[in-house]
Amino acid sequence: MAITDLPTFVRADGPDKVTGSGRYTADMTLTGMLAAKFRYAGVSHARITKLDVSAAKAIPGVFAVITADDVPDVRYSYGIADRTLFAKGVVRYDGEVLAAVAAISPEVAQRAVDAIVVEYDELPIVTDLEAAVADDSPLVHDDLDGYAITGDTPHHGNVGTHSSIEMGDPDAAMAAAHTVVSSRFVADASHAVPIEPRAVIAQWEGDKVTIWTSTQVPFDARNGVCETLEMPTTKVRVIVPHVGGGFGGKCGPHYEPHIAALARAAKRPCKLVFSRWEEFTAPDRRREGMIVDVTTGLDAEGNIVARTGELLLDNGAYMADSSFFAQAAAMHVAGPYTIPNVRIDAQLVYTNHQPSGSVRAPTAPQGCWAVESHTDELAAAIGMDPLDFRRRNIVRTGDVGPTGQTYEEIGLDRCLDMAAESAGWGTTELPDDEAFGISIGWWPSFHMPAGAYMKMHADGKVQVITGANECGTGSVMTLRMLAADELGLDQTDVELVYQDTAAAPDGPGASGSMTLFNHGRAVEKAAKEIAGQLRELAATKLEASAADIVLADGAASVAGTPTKSVPIVELAEAAAEGELLLGSGSTDELEWPEIKGSSCLGEQGFSSFMAPQFICHVARVRLDKDTGVARVLEVHAVHDSGTILNPVAAHGQVEGGILMGIGQALTEGTQYDETGSQRNAALLEYKLQTIADAPEIHTQFVEIHTPNAGPKGAKGLAEAPNVPTAGAISNAIAALIGRPVRQLPMTAERVWSTIAEEVTA
Amino acid sequence: MSTDINAIELTVNGVPYPVAIDTSRNLSGVLRNEIGLTGTKEGCDDCECGACMVLLDGQPINSCSYLAVQAQGREITTVEGLADGDELHPLQRNILATGGVQCGFCTPGMLMSAQALLDRNPDPSLEDIKIGLSGNLCRCTGYARILAAVDATAVELRGTSDS
Amino acid sequence: MSFAVATSLDDALAAMAAGARPIAGGTDLVVGSRQGKGALPDAIIAIDRLPELAAIEVGDDVTRIGAGVTHATLMTDATVVDQFSSIADAAALVGSPATRNVGTLGGNVMNGSPAMDTGAPLVVLGAEAELRSVDATRSVSLDELWTGPGSTSANADELCTALLIPNRPAASGSAYVRLEYRRAMEIAVVGAAAAVTLDGDTVSTVRVALTAVAPTILEVTGLDAVVGSTIDDAAVAAATAASEQATPISDLRASDAYRRHTIGVMARRAVDAAARRAMGETIAVPVNRALGVGAVA
Repeated sequence: MAITDLPTFVRADGPDKVTGSGRYTADMTLTGMLAAKFRYAGVSHARITKLDVSAAKAIPGVFAVITADDVPDVRYSYGIADRTLFAKGVVRYDGEVLAAVAAISPEVAQRAVDAIVVEYDELPIVTDLEAAVADDSPLVHDDLDGYAITGDTPHHGNVGTHSSIEMGDPDAAMAAAHTVVSSRFVADASHAVPIEPRAVIAQWEGDKVTIWTSTQVPFDARNGVCETLEMPTTKVRVIVPHVGGGFGGKCGPHYEPHIAALARAAKRPCKLVFSRWEEFTAPDRRREGMIVDVTTGLDAEGNIVARTGELLLDNGAYMADSSFFAQAAAMHVAGPYTIPNVRIDAQLVYTNHQPSGSVRAPTAPQGCWAVESHTDELAAAIGMDPLDFRRRNIVRTGDVGPTGQTYEEIGLDRCLDMAAESAGWGTTELPDDEAFGISIGWWPSFHMPAGAYMKMHADGKVQVITGANECGTGSVMTLRMLAADELGLDQTDVELVYQDTAAAPDGPGASGSMTLFNHGRAVEKAAKEIAGQLRELAATKLEASAADIVLADGAASVAGTPTKSVPIVELAEAAAEGELLLGSGSTDELEWPEIKGSSCLGEQGFSSFMAPQFICHVARVRLDKDTGVARVLEVHAVHDSGTILNPVAAHGQVEGGILMGIGQALTEGTQYDETGSQRNAALLEYKLQTIADAPEIHTQFVEIHTPNAGPKGAKGLAEAPNVPTAGAISNAIAALIGRPVRQLPMTAERVWSTIAEEVTA
Repeated sequence: MSTDINAIELTVNGVPYPVAIDTSRNLSGVLRNEIGLTGTKEGCDDCECGACMVLLDGQPINSCSYLAVQAQGREITTVEGLADGDELHPLQRNILATGGVQCGFCTPGMLMSAQALLDRNPDPSLEDIKIGLSGNLCRCTGYARILAAVDATAVELRGTSDS
Repeated sequence: MSFAVATSLDDALAAMAAGARPIAGGTDLVVGSRQGKGALPDAIIAIDRLPELAAIEVGDDVTRIGAGVTHATLMTDATVVDQFSSIADAAALVGSPATRNVGTLGGNVMNGSPAMDTGAPLVVLGAEAELRSVDATRSVSLDELWTGPGSTSANADELCTALLIPNRPAASGSAYVRLEYRRAMEIAVVGAAAAVTLDGDTVSTVRVALTAVAPTILEVTGLDAVVGSTIDDAAVAAATAASEQATPISDLRASDAYRRHTIGVMARRAVDAAARRAMGETIAVPVNRALGVGAVA
């Protein structure tokens, strides 16, 4: 479908964004506002022997310098409470915050940062994953058990979480297999890289603080402030101006507590705006590096009979929201295949790198790249076409997956068939330097509590007050369509009040592809409440039963008798003089699908996939074999994300996810030196794809009914497009050079080295 | 010849702004902070993202890495100068219609590059558009809808000028 | 910091004699200071409005390209595109439209970076730099000008005012190709320029220079041996010599081994494209995008 053929989507925030009048956090100024800057550790592992801020405080124009001594002594984080706002005693990565400065200008603040004196006793630096899990490794945290640990978080040494999937008897099945293939794949870390570097402003009024921040999840930001500064929920208000992209990188609390504490100390509003270098090096959000060892056994017909895997994931120095990563990665390496005998062990390993955290489908692109590259090796080992091999082994409706979950209605088979057909798999003649590669993937939908309020005013216009957070996807904008649909109004009759924790009920914000799935369900419920009130009012007025009232096209009518009708605005006008039209909704809890036969360790919510989304991507790649430079010419993407409510936004998610996937496949890898510092924390050296690199993207959706889906059968969509692209590109490159490139990103040099290995082999 | 210029005048979107600034200040900072036009964004420190793109005498520059004093006597155009009053510029209208705006942070710079491209080349091929916008990184859209919007605008403007 | 706009060349030279640093587009200077690589100088003299630096003048024997000519002009100017195609190839690959719009040939040359894109083309075309001070004007070979990464032999009061390039003989062509990991916004990992003159089907002269594989732009030596050979043989010989003579480093962009390999590939492709142009074939600027070398088109 041509881009211009899609139905109209009115982006309420659009005019603001194209005229430059829209305010992002960094665009805001408050009277008396000071510039905030951080002093970072600058070393990856050391004991602090001296931290002296007196010279910094003495600089004219400096209003406050704060350290761990100036905030409550609270250790926090998800899973393992291993961190403090400011480094305390030991620093564990080079971007860890030692101190914050508030000064009259950014220049003065920087001078004060430079005047802070810190001295260290250096500690051994842990960067190598395999060495880190050895018994004799130095420890990143020497007393994990001294921290508060919640949930099912098995841990020891440098292992923060250990998770396993087990089903059947993989050892016996492997021993009896006709063909066994073992593969190793190593993925570098990568970064979310929203184009807006993060910014935070805090202002106190009495004992209350208001924080403007570029977060994806305002309630997490608020809760983080409350926890670390020991404040009641009601005293902290988080407001989110326009957000310039997140991709997971802005989930969770980040620097809101630091700037709140700084503003309190300085007795002035304070504003932090990150440079690109800081955006790369400091936050606890980085796509984790991963080592995947996977072995699969096939029977004589090419059916997968067993799979074992061992995974090591680089957690970095602290737990961000990463405690579930081991289990998620294990699921992705098991893959959406019918495998009766499985054992996957995954360990999330502490190192002295920047912490890892949710970046768009955490663990999935790397895990999928590894297992899908491995899948093509399996097909090659038995001389089967990669498409046919997948057709034989994927999960279909009614099948049992690798953790014993029975999949109700799913569309993976159709994704595979449609993507292959779109690309012309097996029929399109390609030049010698081009090939197709295919990859499948999956990603769950998540239930989280979310609420919504709604008001209908005397003029018939509606305000939706939602905790959803618009970081660009358009899914918050889609909430208008849901409300309008329930109320028989046009989407432009609905205005959104959003991104303010003091106004809206809580919710997961823009995380986990959850906006429509959870906030949408809450909005639907709130709208139904007002719709019910309107039906009662109309029923009285039209002398009919409320059950027979239909709300459509701005009017309430009696079903079957369209002449008996009243404009909704008249009902609203009347209600404004009597009982107000108010609605509220909270998501009903959804049941996680049952799993059978699998004994799991490190249970973090990823053993079964709720309302799973399935994906198939086929990439057409051209390779310059002399240099190893690959270029993606086409991607054919087919997604089962349930009902597509907003096609323009949905296509946009797929297209953006694919470009990010191409970057991660070819040019986006975070490089470290031997001291654990990033070497390429700049956009010239960490290369996003440009418009000149963008391929043709052909997207289709398989819209099927999925049990437990969100509003009108919609599932999530924001993360899934990022999952299989690298795998498809890998398989196209492997088709051209005869073997997979075993490191991600598959840089030109790595492709060239892989070709060279083949020549020498 | 003068030294130590502090009080200067910058003409932005046709409006002269007297400003007193340190000579080392970059143009994007002065536009955003002294002049109060925050449509121009800052996404990196080194001409690598294009969010700060403005036009100087009609040509695109990265205003983050351009000395404000060097823009004296030249016409500066920012995203705030694109629309004709309340009437959106066709580029603005089309990038909304195609879905080429998501988070919107790259949008102002992208629009300025597109405007410069269409001024220079009213009949660009898709490859011309890609090269013309290649200094503007977008993380959200995958570029397809931005490309379509600029292409549609070129067609639209050619139709206007032909009639 | 003091800042002044030069209204004449003499004005600019006087300011430099008094210690000011010249600024044209400011891309290197301002970006460098923002990245903390070096503070802005105490005094800056803007030379971006001097018409005498922005001209391209074709003389009887030599073409004079003003130091203030921008990359955007170099990649579209008919003389440069037809006669000195490799310079146009290189200019078209610099940064983005915005950097090409403000960045100048003189700025690129005087930056002295071994990764500068216009350097290798200028070397194979036999260019000299014209340096002027209040007192004198002199021409220096580029070999003499570039003394190391980021350093030149120009005196602090000398302004590069032009690049002087001998006009090309008949049946000649030049080309610049660069390894690119993506199709825009790149910096040279390696690059190669070639200038070739043909005598019928055989090569009568060939010069090759290399980007980012030595402390300065490196001209390949010993290519006299290929005179009289076919284009293919010359391209292969140039590739071998380039890989042998390169002394690349390993850094975050590439290992030395990969650079040594790919510089040969670039040299071969540059000679091939230059020879095809010498034969009269029109290959659009830049060669990278026209033929799909570097980042595959």
